[in-house]
Amino acid sequence: MNTLTTIDELGFAPALQQDVLEDTTSDHALLEATRSGDQDAFAELVSRYRNQITSYIYRMTNDYDGAVDLAQETFVRVYRAADRYQRSYAFSTYIYRIATNLAISELRKRKRRKLVSLTGFFQPTDGGEAKELNPPDLRPLQDLELVDTERRNAVQRAIGTLPEKYRAPLILRDVDGRSYDEIAKILETSEGTVKSRISRARGFLREKMRAYL
Amino acid sequence: MRKTNCKQIRRELDELMLGEAWSAIATEHLRECAECREFHVQQTKLRKIVGSLGTVEAPADFDFRLRARLAKDASSAPAIYWRLMRSGLVVAATVIIVALGVVVVRDAMRQGENIGEVARKPEVHQPLKPDEAPPVGRQEKQSDDVVAGVTPATIRKVRPTQADYKKRPLSSFAISSTGASVLNGTKPAGMSTAFPIDSSVQPFTVSLEDGRGNAKTISVPTVSFGSQRIVQGGNQFAPKRDW
Repeated sequence: MNTLTTIDELGFAPALQQDVLEDTTSDHALLEATRSGDQDAFAELVSRYRNQITSYIYRMTNDYDGAVDLAQETFVRVYRAADRYQRSYAFSTYIYRIATNLAISELRKRKRRKLVSLTGFFQPTDGGEAKELNPPDLRPLQDLELVDTERRNAVQRAIGTLPEKYRAPLILRDVDGRSYDEIAKILETSEGTVKSRISRARGFLREKMRAYL
Repeated sequence: MRKTNCKQIRRELDELMLGEAWSAIATEHLRECAECREFHVQQTKLRKIVGSLGTVEAPADFDFRLRARLAKDASSAPAIYWRLMRSGLVVAATVIIVALGVVVVRDAMRQGENIGEVARKPEVHQPLKPDEAPPVGRQEKQSDDVVAGVTPATIRKVRPTQADYKKRPLSSFAISSTGASVLNGTKPAGMSTAFPIDSSVQPFTVSLEDGRGNAKTISVPTVSFGSQRIVQGGNQFAPKRDW
């Protein structure tokens, strides 16, 4: 009669280990550990998301130093609110939502700081959509490498001129490659609205980037 | 029909991720419609440019700065508690001051009420009969202050002592002993109703003290405006006819 001496001989040990490993390294598990005072778990979460969040906020605000500050503020808020965190959403959705709110607040603060805006003269008076002044650059292009850099700068500037409600979904979709469902959850709106805003945002960009297309 | 179709196809292409396969209908449409083909090419190019922006990296000292920030927050927590406690003390002090103020104001109002009650409840002096002599203590300087028609009983002039000076208010009223007449509509119609004011015995007399114990009495002689009649049968200004 054969007797099993170790659990490894049962044959499902590798799968079990894999599950345990995944469970302990999931975002939820790391946040649980953070809640119980594990600083390393929080450091792991930070290392997972710091680049994504910094990059996302940078694309939103077009200001690197400000983006770094806001990314840090995002993590501080996550840390402080760890006790109140609920598992109903993915952690990425949760942290992106915080980052989005901070970025939008920053954009609004900047808008308030602008006492007189030259672009105000070019805004439609019939209640239509407000557009920043950024006329398409129709000059001929020269060197390929320069073109590439210039094109990226141009698209970054063009994104920066989009109204915030179009900017966030466009970045989340076309830069970060997130699904409509996730974007809708991050922005707390419907999928239909997200699709429509992305489509309009691309329309604006196409107009501004005509020279590069 | 075709416009609608173009719109639908463009929306479908727009919603797909780059490199994702589209439907056979869209393929068919793109083959036929040059405008939509152009749109699709431009849109794909644009999305590639936007996608090429990529991820910007956080600075190397990101973690260090974050730890410092969290540590600063943690160390400032007692300061926050102290600030809250300090604000609590301020609130408590404010409450005590307000409560004291309420007590003081209430006491002052009660004193005012007492003064009012004294003013409303005059000392009742029995009217003197014409042949009755006034009390001895109240006859001083009678001839100077008394105006014609004013009986000595209606004038009260007292020189206060030092103790009275401390207790009394700066002014006092000497009020006629007879109460005001009350008029009501209980009299039968047709009967003449007039104010029964006897001008010969009802002067208005005020006695003032200047705060140094000197009293001054002012006596206003009665003035007759004739008699007033109450009109029977309601308001005289009421409309006479139906509107």
